[in-house]
Amino acid sequence: MSWPRWWRALRFRSHLQAWLVRRLPPSAQWTLRHQRIYLLPTSFGWMLLGVALAIWVGALNYAVSLAYALSFWIIGLLLVSVLMAYRQLAGLTLQAGTADPVFAGEVTHFSIRLDNPSGWSRTLQGHLAGSTGRTSACQLSPHSSVWLSLPLATTQRGLLAMPALALSCDVPFGLIRAFAYVRLRQQALVYPVPQADVSGHRQGVSGEGEALSTAGDDEFSHLAAYRDGDTPRQIAWKVLARRDVLTSKRFAGAVAGGCRVLDWHDYPPGDDAESRLSRLAWRVLECEREQHCYRLRVPGAEVGPQPHQREQALALLARYGETP
Amino acid sequence: MTGSDALRRVLPVLLALAVTAAPLARYLPGWVVGLSAAMLLARGILLWQQRQLPPRWLVALAVAVPLVLLWLTLRTLIGREGGSALLLLLVGFKAFETFSLRDWRVLLALGFFLAATPLLFDQSPLAAGWLVLSLFSLTWAMAALHGKQPILASLRATLQALLLSLPLMLVLFVVMPRLPGPLWSIPAASATASSGLAEDMAPGSLSQLIPSNEPVFTAVFAGAAPPRRDFYWRVMLFDQFDGRRWFNAGVVDEPGGQVLGGNSVSYTLTVVPDKGRVPVLDLPGEVAEGLRERAGMVWRQPRPSDTRIRYRAGSHTGALLAEPLDASHLAYYRHLPAGNERTRALAASIRARSQGDEGYIRSLLEHFRLENFRYTLSPPLLEGGDIVDQFLFQTRQGFCEHYASAFAFLARAAGIPSRVVVGYQGGEYNPAGGYWQIRSSDAHAWVEVWLASRQSWWRVDPTAAVSPDRIEQGVEQAVPAVRAAVPILGGRPPAWIMALRQHWLAANFVWQQWVVGYDAGRQRSLFRSLGLGPEVDTAAVLKGLLLGAVLALLPLWWWWRSLPPREPLLVGWLLLAQRLRRAGVAVTSADTPAELLQRGTSLGEADREQLAALLDAYVGLRYRTREEAAPLAARRWLRGVRRFRPSARR
Repeated sequence: MSWPRWWRALRFRSHLQAWLVRRLPPSAQWTLRHQRIYLLPTSFGWMLLGVALAIWVGALNYAVSLAYALSFWIIGLLLVSVLMAYRQLAGLTLQAGTADPVFAGEVTHFSIRLDNPSGWSRTLQGHLAGSTGRTSACQLSPHSSVWLSLPLATTQRGLLAMPALALSCDVPFGLIRAFAYVRLRQQALVYPVPQADVSGHRQGVSGEGEALSTAGDDEFSHLAAYRDGDTPRQIAWKVLARRDVLTSKRFAGAVAGGCRVLDWHDYPPGDDAESRLSRLAWRVLECEREQHCYRLRVPGAEVGPQPHQREQALALLARYGETP
Repeated sequence: MTGSDALRRVLPVLLALAVTAAPLARYLPGWVVGLSAAMLLARGILLWQQRQLPPRWLVALAVAVPLVLLWLTLRTLIGREGGSALLLLLVGFKAFETFSLRDWRVLLALGFFLAATPLLFDQSPLAAGWLVLSLFSLTWAMAALHGKQPILASLRATLQALLLSLPLMLVLFVVMPRLPGPLWSIPAASATASSGLAEDMAPGSLSQLIPSNEPVFTAVFAGAAPPRRDFYWRVMLFDQFDGRRWFNAGVVDEPGGQVLGGNSVSYTLTVVPDKGRVPVLDLPGEVAEGLRERAGMVWRQPRPSDTRIRYRAGSHTGALLAEPLDASHLAYYRHLPAGNERTRALAASIRARSQGDEGYIRSLLEHFRLENFRYTLSPPLLEGGDIVDQFLFQTRQGFCEHYASAFAFLARAAGIPSRVVVGYQGGEYNPAGGYWQIRSSDAHAWVEVWLASRQSWWRVDPTAAVSPDRIEQGVEQAVPAVRAAVPILGGRPPAWIMALRQHWLAANFVWQQWVVGYDAGRQRSLFRSLGLGPEVDTAAVLKGLLLGAVLALLPLWWWWRSLPPREPLLVGWLLLAQRLRRAGVAVTSADTPAELLQRGTSLGEADREQLAALLDAYVGLRYRTREEAAPLAARRWLRGVRRFRPSARR
């Protein structure tokens, strides 16, 4: 529903929203109570109130008793709608879930768990403040819970805190809108946008003065899930015997061709940080695709071969330069 | 909005508008209602076939045609008929340029306004019933248009919302202040199609009212009512005769006269004024608030309106109206046009053998009583000149207007000032409602003569001399044609139908008095009896709202707290344990189904088998069924538990 221009000029709603959001402390869990629930008529609600007043004036003028009744009944309907809208939100419990990490420019989804502790069903919509995406509607049966997944487009690498969540509903008639703003403690990791780096410089095997490959081909590094092609020598038989899980031993420098080193300093000093991070991210993905051993180095940190190396490496890139 | 979803959401709106507009078909020109209905129908068909709407400019252009037509038909676009017709046409055409959700909502809001228009014409209980129906369908259309709930849920929400807002409405209805007058002037009521009394009195002008038998006004007496024969309700006064009809020449304008003697009664009348004319019992005392007294003790509204009014009045039955007349007035009330020579001769002969004015009047009444006159609703037509002669000497059959006319003529012919009063005589008492109903069939005309000896007007009813039943028991008894009859079969309706009719009328009376007629005066008296305050002022209204809010919030509170239906499996399990305990099985609350079956060995064979089946089903429902299928099956199982009545074994 579009607002008239003068109304938008007042920007009443956005001011109100900003003010409401500022007052909120973030928390991992919220239960909606009357302090947090706001109720306002929709434009349809205002319209119907206007109609009720017009009927009332007509009743006054023509002394039509039943028209009074009609006018007052409409007003009563509006009042009851306020309660009905309020009841849709009251008592609802929200809990932050997790958000999948994405690359900058992609859409991340924050998930929120809604618990309906009451005996009536609810129909509501969730919307992230500042998100231009569509609102997500959901239905909650009595005594049930549901996961709400809210999309948010990302632009920048880093840790993205979940913006304030606006929950609203205007059932059953669309006359009164109940809404509540909550800030849930939830963060999404946004990796740098991978940027192709095919210059081929210094893609060589590690070992140039570094400890890695010289430390011995057979030095045990870590255990990883069995992959097709692992030799029987690599299988951790003790683990298999004890836990009945097929596990392979990984050895530093054991992979043919040695580990690639993806280094911050591979690039000329003039390159800016973001482009370095983007190209490093691309190279991490390349190594993962080729299942090539790699070692990522940025100033002050390093990620070597280990479980979840991809996530670790990308997270390192995403959070590079973050003030602790 | 497009597609079948749109159809599901929007069709209820069109339907609700049709329901809301339906009562207007009774009051507006047929083509207005027909056209609007056709527009709504056509919009529905376009929607069904998912076709394009005509361009907006075309709709705007097309609406001009019926508007011009409406102007030509009604000569107005405002007021009751004009305004309603305009709104109805606009709704019909607006439907044709409605596409977005916002458009539909505007249309729906117009529909709520439209629901108020039939009330301008009719406020009967039936109209109220239809209003509720309209409100329900409009509210449901709102929920359907919102479209987030299935049909059943939206119906339930509608019913719930309307029921919960009903007490709020009642409180506001009672407490919100009513204004004594309109905010701006209302166009004067049109003089068409009224079933009231005519502007003058010619042969046949009253008798034509009788068969319609419509309710005209009601009277409630404070204390005992006077005898029925004293029920002379004055409405109009005619003081000149032109040879055929009696009329009010409007020459004597100033009210005058003083009421002498009589028994004073006080009563409340509820009436829809007929061109500003209101009835009052003969002879009235102090004029009621909001009304004026005109010459000849008749009451008028200062500004005619056709809304129902109620007023308290006091009267003196059987009194004389003392009013000294000067020479010019005497001549005025004795004036007669030329003609009717035989009647003048009769007057002279009777005058010669009677003593004084009063004696002459009595002799005239005697003449009517003895000379074989007949009181009838369908007398022979009186054509041409000298109609008084024709009536007195040839036809001798007439209704009250014939007798009043002839009697007033005879009085004037003998030099006695006289005039004709037209109004109602009698009424029907409704014991269920405790009120008197006066109908158009009670229309009556009588005569007042001025007696020089007493310097006052004296009421004389020649009809009473001809047909005493008319005065004592009403026109129904005097004229068989007016009696209530069963359609087609004929004959008097059975007593229980009459009793039912009385109760229905009484309910209508209460409705009129307390709902339709709930005005500033009623509100004040109600506030006083409720102890809210002597006047309807801010403090009293606030007090009333507070008190009312407490009452109105009770159902809301109950609704808020109402617990959801409990899980059938749990209810059934508890019931099962209770039944077994009653049958002498020692059941503990910690028993599992298997243990319960174990304990049930003390039961009879049939009971044990039934118990085993129930427990088996329970385990199945509780632990094996997928969630979706459970509720119905669980309910069926609960019904099974309710039927299970194990008997104790000796």
